[in-house]
Amino acid sequence: MWGVALRSILGAIPVLFIVSLITFGMMRLIPGDPSAVIGGLSATAEQLAQIRSELGLDEPFLVQLFKWYGGLLQGNLGKSILLGQDVVEATFVRLPVTIALSLYALVITIILGMTSGIIAALRQNTLIDQIAMMVAMLGISVPNFFLGLLMIILFAVHLGWLPTGGYIPFSEDPVGWLRTSTMPALSLALLQMGLLARITRSTMLEVLRQDYIRTARAKGLPGRLVVVKHALTNALIPITTVIGIIISLSISGAVVTESLFSIPGMGQLLTQAVLNRDYPMVQGGLLLTTTFLVLVNILVDIAYALLDPRVRYEQS
Amino acid sequence: MARSILIPFGLAAAMTFVGALASTSSLAAPFKCPKVGGDFVFGQEANVNSLDQMTSSTISTRNVAMNIFEALMSRDESNNPITDLAETMTESADGLTYTFKLRQGIKFHNGKPMTSADVAASWDRYKRVANERNILNNVAGWDTPDAMTFVVRMTKRQPTFIEFISSFSQPIVIFPAEFKDDPSQQLRTVGTGPWQLVEFLPGSHVRLKRYDDYVANTKYEERTGFGGYKQACFDTVTFRIVTEPGARVAGLKTGELHGVEDLPALSLPELKKDSAITIVPLENWWVQVASANTSQPPTDNVKFRQAVMALLDMDEIMDAATDGNYRLNVGFQYPHQPTYTDAGKEHYNQKNAAKAKKLLAESGYKGEPVVLLTNKDYTSMYNAALVMSEQLKAIGIKAEMKVVDWPTSVQIQVQATPSPGWNYFFTGYGTQPALGALATMNFFMGSNPNYKPKEGGADPVLAAAWEDMNQKVDPKERQAAFVRMQARIMDQAFVLPFGALTKVQGVRSTVKGYKPFRIPRFSNVWFE
Repeated sequence: MWGVALRSILGAIPVLFIVSLITFGMMRLIPGDPSAVIGGLSATAEQLAQIRSELGLDEPFLVQLFKWYGGLLQGNLGKSILLGQDVVEATFVRLPVTIALSLYALVITIILGMTSGIIAALRQNTLIDQIAMMVAMLGISVPNFFLGLLMIILFAVHLGWLPTGGYIPFSEDPVGWLRTSTMPALSLALLQMGLLARITRSTMLEVLRQDYIRTARAKGLPGRLVVVKHALTNALIPITTVIGIIISLSISGAVVTESLFSIPGMGQLLTQAVLNRDYPMVQGGLLLTTTFLVLVNILVDIAYALLDPRVRYEQS
Repeated sequence: MARSILIPFGLAAAMTFVGALASTSSLAAPFKCPKVGGDFVFGQEANVNSLDQMTSSTISTRNVAMNIFEALMSRDESNNPITDLAETMTESADGLTYTFKLRQGIKFHNGKPMTSADVAASWDRYKRVANERNILNNVAGWDTPDAMTFVVRMTKRQPTFIEFISSFSQPIVIFPAEFKDDPSQQLRTVGTGPWQLVEFLPGSHVRLKRYDDYVANTKYEERTGFGGYKQACFDTVTFRIVTEPGARVAGLKTGELHGVEDLPALSLPELKKDSAITIVPLENWWVQVASANTSQPPTDNVKFRQAVMALLDMDEIMDAATDGNYRLNVGFQYPHQPTYTDAGKEHYNQKNAAKAKKLLAESGYKGEPVVLLTNKDYTSMYNAALVMSEQLKAIGIKAEMKVVDWPTSVQIQVQATPSPGWNYFFTGYGTQPALGALATMNFFMGSNPNYKPKEGGADPVLAAAWEDMNQKVDPKERQAAFVRMQARIMDQAFVLPFGALTKVQGVRSTVKGYKPFRIPRFSNVWFE
């Protein structure tokens, strides 16, 4: 298992380097820079040139790149041009918000998605199966932005159960956090739930047709034990892969959800940073977010090793 | 209403009115909050990146920061320059010295009393970091003869100096002297205004609380413009960033938000029926325009530009751009402003296809592409370009839309003259027309994102009129110069002013005293 972890960590280093290089290059390639945002509508060409000079944007590409990597090696990702705040500090204020929201969505996804997938597999070709898959298809098809708006109208405006937006940190008020996070988490979860339900159903169907399941049933084991211990455990490996993907989707899906519900997370921060061409914030924020996602993938790799002895055996 | 003598627009240079202003203090019944308390939650459409009012010209920053910071001079409800942190302002007879006597007893939000040393430090920083620091180009320096006096020395007479330093675009806000080395965009948020900062989380919210030691300007008995007699009636004000229009409407309906800006037009009929909500239109939010690129064919040809001007149906363009929230408006000032002129009205909204075709033929137009550079960040700009494109195509002009995001469109704009790749740039003149004719006409001096003169320098007729606008001591002569400038711009079709856009705000009906202005003002506003 340690071999799996070490190999994953070593593999992450070139990934992070390439991501940082691409991000840096892309930001410089797209037209427009922060001077236009800072200078506003009335800025003259001279004023814009002055702002660019103050920000060091008039320096050659390679000089800017090496300066940034120099800072990175010292743990300094620079300051956000528009926020005037350290990139690391700004990220660490917001990343926990997005992670908390994504985890909440993940919990909903796993509970509802896996359950409906398992039930659909066990009741294959029945009305329950068709309803579960129809709901799953609906979740995948309807944009979460639209779902979010519908939820606001229903749960906030008409029923008055939940607030229309805003965010209360869990550490300040757990009930407040639950109230402000439920609709965003649901709108994120519905998309992923559909994905997970369909994968769970097809994987379970495949496993349930295996000889060892038939043997277990023939031995007279209770149906629940067969499903949970023998079928589900073996189905978990592809499902774990999908959960890893779902976490990545949650982080990227948070861009829209956070804007709709006014949640101060990474999605909103990075969207604003890109729109305002806040180079240090985009470069540093994306690097830190990528690092988090790489860590999630490493955990998924470790989970494989824990779930499947063959992986441990191959590594050893 | 204010009993003090206000500085009339355009007359600032001629005044020596220290005695007049000083003699008008102490009033019988200044505004008193009918009710005190509560948290007012305002749904703001755009994110606030920085509260450094000295270096940020964005509207979202101003919305918040102008409730926190104050300057020596500001503007009243009708845009006249007025004293704010200054008790009096005196201009010497030769126009080379301005003396500001500071109001007594002003304290910063950190409890420190304000003195002329703080004013000098604030002006020092402005000269170092502010984007609009060129307003101090004719200033030789400043002195602080005593703790409550600040003197500005000019290198040459500048009749428009007071108009510039009272601007709210990037005002010279006063902060404690120890912050003078704060970098651009990072000024610590300690001002003298009726509201002080509690919490600022970019992308989420800004929370302000009432500053209990605030000293109101007793020369007035009511709030006026950015100044006057200001009283904080709420305990706290929270600016919540709600970028999605549907979410702002929902928040206003449920009462989670007590006020919002930029309500979508489609929601207005339903909201108007709701007795718990009051719709407050903010007219003349900006002049919707398209600037012509006079450095590129075919818009380098005056006949071609005039053909376009003759053709356009401004009603159709503004209706699509604003979903019906507009008013046709000639030129670059609004009728309620003293500087308004309809000079050039014969060129506006002609809808004359026959004349346009004739001018087009005279221009020698050979079917070259005409690129309309616009963006989707501002829907009104995109929609205006879309309709104009169709109108141009109708008479055989090969119009092409180039849609990018806002920073990209500005980047394309600021390329050195000649600036290739576009012919008309869609934008809005917001702050400048509100500030007055001088600020707006500044757009036409030299190359900038709003104006691309052919050789990089201004049109000679415009340049001569601009000189008069700035240097003539008689305000009537300055106004005449503005009239000439506007007439020239309309005749040469350097810019196509489509009309005035109305921005619709809304508040809960329990909110009293709220009056829409260039910023949401929370002083002298209370919950019923």
